[in-house]
Amino acid sequence: MTNLEKYNEAFIASFEITEEKLNGLKYQDIEFWDSVGHMTLVANLEDAFDIMMETDDIIDLSSYEKGKEILTEKYDISF
Amino acid sequence: MTSVSNKTLLITGCNRGIGKAILTKFTENGYNVIACNRTISDDFRTFCNELMQKYNVEITLYQCDLSENNSIADTMKAIFQSKVQIDVLVNNAGMAFGAFFSMTSVIKIKEIFEVNFFAPVLISQYVSKWMQKRRSGVIINLGSVAGLDPMEGFTAYGTSKASLMMFTKILAKELGKYNIRVNAVAPGLTETEMALEMEKKSEEYMVNMTSFKRLGKPSEIANLVYYLSSDEAEFITGQVIRIDGGM
Repeated sequence: MTNLEKYNEAFIASFEITEEKLNGLKYQDIEFWDSVGHMTLVANLEDAFDIMMETDDIIDLSSYEKGKEILTEKYDISF
Repeated sequence: MTSVSNKTLLITGCNRGIGKAILTKFTENGYNVIACNRTISDDFRTFCNELMQKYNVEITLYQCDLSENNSIADTMKAIFQSKVQIDVLVNNAGMAFGAFFSMTSVIKIKEIFEVNFFAPVLISQYVSKWMQKRRSGVIINLGSVAGLDPMEGFTAYGTSKASLMMFTKILAKELGKYNIRVNAVAPGLTETEMALEMEKKSEEYMVNMTSFKRLGKPSEIANLVYYLSSDEAEFITGQVIRIDGGM
């Protein structure tokens, strides 16, 4: 599984959405991406990439695209 | 790690006093322990080695300065990388300080808050995230009656503990959905080095306020902490439980 596939799968599993809805997706755009869903997403991302996200990064993770940026810049995960 | 209970306690500040009693109580009951202390003396290492041999448990020591966020972050990363599952977190470490309001600098108040409030908040942020994934865990914060009852000279210490105890209640609300229990204990004056640092007349005043006319024992506080961590307390969360000999 590629990093992008793992990343997408974390969103899909967290928010029960399909892959085509991921581009442009932002925090609180959909019902499942609320504060509780956000922590589920963080847990799934941490598990998928075996990382421990810092609180500042959890707060900054405001969109599908921003998440990729954070993982690339802060956790050396390339997409 | 192999022990009877196969559970792990993470505790801060356990090289003396109440923390040391909690460390002892949990190891007696088969817990492995991750101990985060600002200093780790040879005597403390020997003490831990004796506990490990006696109770067939593991005690892993981390040097961690709770007044430094980077030190906490580095310690939490090391624990995360060790892949050990934390079942119980006890935020025990605290810094005592007593002085009249007019003789307490804001810098000093911030220093006390850094250790007594912000450090437990930061550690809880890390550890609760791991507990959320497993939908299981217990967090116990060491509060104080000084954070419940207004007493002269406790501007810094009392307000820091009051903040910690309110944080406990809020955290319990937020983490209940993940089956994580959060409680605090609020000891009265206890037989520790911290108590010895008090002025004698203040100590006598507090002892006279108790129904039993004596100081608490660290082991008595440890017993309550252990009870709150156990399944026997599985419906208790968001509570601040006084253990003060009836003040």
